[in-house]
Amino acid sequence: MRWLRFLVGLLIALTLHSLLLSFFPNALAFFNPYVILVVYYSMGGNVLGAIIAGVIAGLVDDAFSGAMFGLHAFALTVCAYAVAYVNSRLALRGTLAFGACLAGAVIVNELVIFILVNILQRQKIELFNQSLLFKTIFTLLFGMLLYQLLTLFLREEPIEATKRPAGW
Amino acid sequence: MAAPAEVIPRRPTLLLIVVLSLLFVLMSVSSHTRYVGETRTLFERTVMTIFSPVPKTVNWIGQAASDMYHGYLDMRRAVNENLLLHRKLADLTAENLKLSQSQTDLQRLRSLMGYSEQFALKTSLAHAIMLDTGSRFKSIIIDRGSSNGVEVNDAIVNANGLIGRVVLTTNDLAKVQLISDNNCSVGALIERTRRQGVVRGDGGTAAQMFDVPSLADVQPGDQVLTAGIDGIYPKGIPIGTIVRAERGQELFKSIWVKPAVDYGTIEEVIVIHTRKVPNDVVRYAP
Repeated sequence: MRWLRFLVGLLIALTLHSLLLSFFPNALAFFNPYVILVVYYSMGGNVLGAIIAGVIAGLVDDAFSGAMFGLHAFALTVCAYAVAYVNSRLALRGTLAFGACLAGAVIVNELVIFILVNILQRQKIELFNQSLLFKTIFTLLFGMLLYQLLTLFLREEPIEATKRPAGW
Repeated sequence: MAAPAEVIPRRPTLLLIVVLSLLFVLMSVSSHTRYVGETRTLFERTVMTIFSPVPKTVNWIGQAASDMYHGYLDMRRAVNENLLLHRKLADLTAENLKLSQSQTDLQRLRSLMGYSEQFALKTSLAHAIMLDTGSRFKSIIIDRGSSNGVEVNDAIVNANGLIGRVVLTTNDLAKVQLISDNNCSVGALIERTRRQGVVRGDGGTAAQMFDVPSLADVQPGDQVLTAGIDGIYPKGIPIGTIVRAERGQELFKSIWVKPAVDYGTIEEVIVIHTRKVPNDVVRYAP
């Protein structure tokens, strides 16, 4: 069931991705729906599931973006692992906690991409600071709103929001 | 037997390292293939193929929505254009009717003017504004009166023939007695035989010709013209056509004449300002 929900979330993220690319070609410079999905999934604290979710979501992101294949998968896997690891220890709940995790994940994601691009392609990302700032703000706002809607109206809880020991 | 607690956290970390390593290799391959010109690896192509229905569907929906929106706009534009064209069509139809009417009027007026030029007497054009052809006394009112030179006993004709004579004038109008009126008499002659007589209205839509001898040669279809002997009507104006001619009970024939003018269709008329016979002459007339 949790994977089905993840798949639905992934399809929604891909739909958003396609829509944004269709109508606002530069929108993905300010917003990353895959990070929201991965953080939402990883808040459950299941590290193994988070890694797999990060890899799948990242690969889908890579397949439909112009970056080298595996870049976003790498970055999202790191984010997913970090969020899941923290949540397996602290069991964070609530919109603010989600927001904090999301903000951290966006920053980590961008930093990892920045480093990898520098290492593998020896390229500098233009306007990295500004992009990081805007992406963090917009992704955070949208992610927290979505989280609030899911918890309030659909009585949704983060996937695998049960206390479990760290690890699988 | 349960695994030691300190071993469990290491496994995801190990997995993470393995996964990240694989991804790093994948990135390197991808980066290399891009460098040599190939833009997509097989793995990348597979992922794209699996998830390609989503962007396709989004694109299809977006395209459909765009088409619907533009279709709606086009429809609105077409509706407005259709309304404008309908209005324009109505305007043009009205204008066409007007022009057509003008053309007909022009032809009729040309015909009238050509006809009026036949007369050596002074003429003027008038419009019939009231037609009383249904009652016992047949008359029409024209829009020219004494201020326009119209006088009593002026002859009224149109392109078809004789209509009648003026019996009353005001400053702006004149009343015309039709030849189909009971009290109207016209000196007439039969065109073919030049036999003269008097045409009088029968109170209906026709007239009768009197004072034609029984032995005179009169045939249905003969044209009847004004004789010009009554001091009112100039000679040679068509009055009508003989439709029936019978031997009468006395010395004269009974002749029925169909007027040349259809009184129900009178619009423009020509007023012939006839020479009036001086009263002194009238006094000694037979």
